[in-house]
Amino acid sequence: MQMLLSLPFTVGKKALKIWAGIGDFGRYCLSIALSFKSLRYLRFRSLYVIVINQTRFTGIDALNFVVLIALIIGATVIIQATTNLPKFGTEGFIGNLLVIIVARELGPLITALIVISRSGSAIAAEISTQKQNQEILSMEIMGIDTRLYIVFPRILASILSIFSLIMIFDLTAFIGGYVIARSTVYIAPEAFLQTLVDAFSLKDLLATLIKSIIYGTLVPLICCYYGFKASSKFEVPIFVSRAVIRTLFTIIVVNVVISILFYF
Amino acid sequence: MDDTLLSIEHLSCDIGSHDPLVDINISLARGENAVFFGPENSGIETLMLFLLDIDDRYEGVIRYKNTDIREFDYIGKHNYRREIGYVHGMYGLISNMSVEDNISLPLEYHSTMSQKEIKRLVDRLIYELNLDYCKKLRPVDLSNSEALRTSYARAIVMDPELLIVKHAFEGQSPLNIRSFMDNLKERASRKDKSLIIVTYEPEKFIDFSDRFIMIFNGRVVFDGNRESYLDSENRYLVQYKEGSPAGPMAIL
Repeated sequence: MQMLLSLPFTVGKKALKIWAGIGDFGRYCLSIALSFKSLRYLRFRSLYVIVINQTRFTGIDALNFVVLIALIIGATVIIQATTNLPKFGTEGFIGNLLVIIVARELGPLITALIVISRSGSAIAAEISTQKQNQEILSMEIMGIDTRLYIVFPRILASILSIFSLIMIFDLTAFIGGYVIARSTVYIAPEAFLQTLVDAFSLKDLLATLIKSIIYGTLVPLICCYYGFKASSKFEVPIFVSRAVIRTLFTIIVVNVVISILFYF
Repeated sequence: MDDTLLSIEHLSCDIGSHDPLVDINISLARGENAVFFGPENSGIETLMLFLLDIDDRYEGVIRYKNTDIREFDYIGKHNYRREIGYVHGMYGLISNMSVEDNISLPLEYHSTMSQKEIKRLVDRLIYELNLDYCKKLRPVDLSNSEALRTSYARAIVMDPELLIVKHAFEGQSPLNIRSFMDNLKERASRKDKSLIIVTYEPEKFIDFSDRFIMIFNGRVVFDGNRESYLDSENRYLVQYKEGSPAGPMAIL
C-alpha cells in the first residue's frame, strides 16, 4: 500500500529529472549555437583536420562492417520476399518491398546504429577522457571555444559519413543481396532492376538526405554532451554507456517521426 | 599611464566546492613577476580559477587592463583568454596530436599567419626548448619534462601578456627542464610581459621573481619583494620555509 502511495511521487520525481535533463541539453545546444559568434575569429584550417579524421573514422573505417551487414540484410529480405510473396500472388512487388524495408527504414536505421556503436561511443569516451586530462580546460584557456572546436566538426563529419554510408548500404543491400539470393532463388536481373527503379522515388532520396542530416547532427551532439558531463574518471564509463543508450533511443524515435511525416 | 596589468580587489569566495578566499587585494604591474605559494588548500587554486575566468562565483572585482573580467562579453572573454598563457601540472596536451601540432594549435585557431610562418615559429620554439627529437611523438610517448616543455611552448606561442605557470615543476628533474628554465628566465626578464608562478617551492624562483605572495586559509599572509622574502620574520613565512609544524599555521 505504501509503495502504491509513493508511486505518484516517484513518477513525478522521475519526470522532473527528465525535464531538468532536457533543459540542460537545451542549454548545451544553445551554447553551441552561441559559439558560432566566434566563427569569424576562427581559422577553418584548425577544424579541417578534425573533420577529415572524424570522417575517416566514422565513414571509411566503418565501411567494411556496413557492407557486410547490408549484404546479410539485403539477402535476407530478398530471400524472404521471393519465397513468400508468390504465395500471395504479389511477386511483382519485390522492388517495392525492398525500397520500403531497406531504403526507407533499415538502411538509415542500421547505419545510424553502427555509427552510434562505433563512433558515438568513441566520441563520448574521447571527450570525457580529454576532460579528465584537463585537455578541454587547456583549450578553453587558450581561447578555443570547445563547443565549436569539438562538436561542430564532428557534426559535419557525421552528416557526410552517415549520408554516404546509407547510400552504400542501400546499394550493397540491393545488388549484393540479389547476387546472394540468386544462389537460392532465381529472379531475372532486368525484372529485379525494373521493379526497384519503379519503386524508388525522389521522396525516398529526400527522406534519406533528411535522415542523414538529422542523425548526423544528433549522434555527435548527444555523445559530445555526455562526454562533457563526466566530472571524474569514475564517471567516464557511466556517461559513455548513457551516451550510447540515449542516442539509440533518440534515433529510433526520430526515425519513426520522420517516417510518419514522409509516408503516413 | 596606468601600468597595472591585473588587479584583484576585495576578492572573497565562500562556496562549498572551492577553498574559501577572504578579501584578497593584489595587483600586478606589466612586466612584474610574482610567485604565489602556500600550503595545500590555501585558496590559490580557487584564486587561479577566478583569474583564468573558469569560474565567476566570487565577490569583489578582478580587473585586467582596467576592465572587470566579468564585464567581458563573449568576444571579450575570448580575447582575454588569448592574452593569457597557462601551464599546469597535468600539462593538458591534446592526446591525439603530436608535439608540433599541440604547439601550433593556438596559432592555427587564432592567428592570421600563413602555414609557413606558423611552421617557422613552431620550429624555432621546438629548437629552443630542445624538443626536436620528439616533435612527431604524441603526448602518451613523452616523458614528464618533454610534456612540460611542449605545454610551455604551446602556452607562449601566442606571446601572451601574462603567463601563469601552476605547479608545473613539481616532480621534474632539474637537468631535464634546463632549457625550459632558461627560456622562462629570459621571459621573466622582459619588461612587457608578466609572469605568475604557483608553486610549493618559491625559493627556486628567487632569481627571476620580483614579488612573493603567500596565501593561507584564503588570506594573503605575506606579500613582499625578493629582499623581504629572504629576510622577513613573518611567522607564516618562517614556518613555511622551515617546514615546521610549529607556528601560526595548523597543518594537518
